[in-house]
Amino acid sequence: MTDHALADHFREPVDDHGVKIAVRDLDFYYGDFHALTGIDIDIRERGVTAFIGPSGCGKSTFLRCLNRMNDLIPGTRVDGTITLDGEDIYGEGVDPVDLRRRVGMIFQQPNPFPMTIYDNVAFGPRLHGVKKKGELDEIVQKSLERANLWKEVKDIMDRNGLSLSGGQQQRLCIARVLAVEPDVMLMDEPCSAIDPTSVQKIEDLMAELKDRITIIIVTHNMQQAARVSDETAFFLQERMGEAAELVEFGRTAEIFTSPQDRRTEDYITGRFG
Amino acid sequence: MREGFRKELKELKAEVVAIGRSVVERTRDAVRALVDGDVDLAAQVIAADDELDSRCLGIEEHSLEIIATQFPVARDLRLLHSLAYISMHFERMGDLAVNISKAARRTADRRGPQTLYDLIQAQGNLVHRVLEAMLEALEKKDLELAHKLPDLDEPIDHLFKQFFRELARLQDEEDIEWASSMVLASRYLERIADHAVDIGERIVYMVTGEFESIGEAEETAEEASAE
Repeated sequence: MTDHALADHFREPVDDHGVKIAVRDLDFYYGDFHALTGIDIDIRERGVTAFIGPSGCGKSTFLRCLNRMNDLIPGTRVDGTITLDGEDIYGEGVDPVDLRRRVGMIFQQPNPFPMTIYDNVAFGPRLHGVKKKGELDEIVQKSLERANLWKEVKDIMDRNGLSLSGGQQQRLCIARVLAVEPDVMLMDEPCSAIDPTSVQKIEDLMAELKDRITIIIVTHNMQQAARVSDETAFFLQERMGEAAELVEFGRTAEIFTSPQDRRTEDYITGRFG
Repeated sequence: MREGFRKELKELKAEVVAIGRSVVERTRDAVRALVDGDVDLAAQVIAADDELDSRCLGIEEHSLEIIATQFPVARDLRLLHSLAYISMHFERMGDLAVNISKAARRTADRRGPQTLYDLIQAQGNLVHRVLEAMLEALEKKDLELAHKLPDLDEPIDHLFKQFFRELARLQDEEDIEWASSMVLASRYLERIADHAVDIGERIVYMVTGEFESIGEAEETAEEASAE
């Protein structure tokens, strides 16, 4: 029966991709405030994982744990472990700057540097010691091509990055991250400040990039999570002042048709949040 | 909290239940027309089919509109998807009731052996019972009742087979056209009940999100007649 073929389809494993980031028993504190508790999750390599949940549920906080961005906030503390390719990212001897090259980040507001388009993309490689003009040119072009921006900017490379439209600026920021060859790209609400056509371009881009890098996106837009991701994690702070937890994590198709946890179901169907 | 959306889902479901109620009545009327040789009643069932078809189509269109505009997920999506499917079953069940009514028209001008009328009536009563249970399971999202549908369906299949055995006893002088119309009617009834069991599976999916085969593998009428 067709029904059962469909059921089998839903039960298929995502793929055989290995675990890129493994998080075990993670707790996170802002000073006295216990923000996240008991997070266990395996993020698969070369796929898109979406983090969803109501405002204040800790999904962005958790995202920032994954490249130690929270280190920059005084008074924060992390318990538990996060490994990237099996290596503890909070371990001794890990250089947070190098970690952030491997685990790049895209923010809600596009944040190009106030410099030329070329220099924006060349910034990272220069920082990491690439000096030859020919080599830099190649990296800049390749990164802009991969960010689907090359055709639009190839003749205006010396213009200021801030002169581009919001959607183009966001793709410029993606090109800037791609220029340092990251393994993982964290995207924190990357589409909430840009127009629908640009949203479409960024979503298309994610589908292309995920063959090579692991993408994690925080989004408030549930349709976007359903469209772009392979797996979805739902975070929830059950009561004000309590630590948020990971309620459910699974294949996106399953989460959006038959979630296992009533709280996930109530949230994604708009019954709260 | 999407109150308007929830109200719309509730109304859509109520309409599907109402269509189901109408299918139950038409099936009952079709059997009565056949057993009583009532051509007027048969004509009424046939005439009412266009309206049933358009109501079923309305459910499908409305479901699609809601999917396109409200982006339903999880149990809301399962409900909409299931309602569209169930209304499709209702549309086909309505067609089968029409077929029984056409058989009633073809056979009305003569009487065959009473045992066969009794068998058809008994089968009709059992089908009525399955349909009522199916409607209640749908209305109340009653999983237990949905799971009982295959058991309620089983005696209907047996009666269909018995109908064949009775036909085999007919004498050569019996009207072959009459006999084949009656056996087809019996088969249509059996199919209507099978649709009800399929709807039961939809109800289970709608409530649990699990695709589950609740009945035995379906035996086709062809297989039954080959026994």
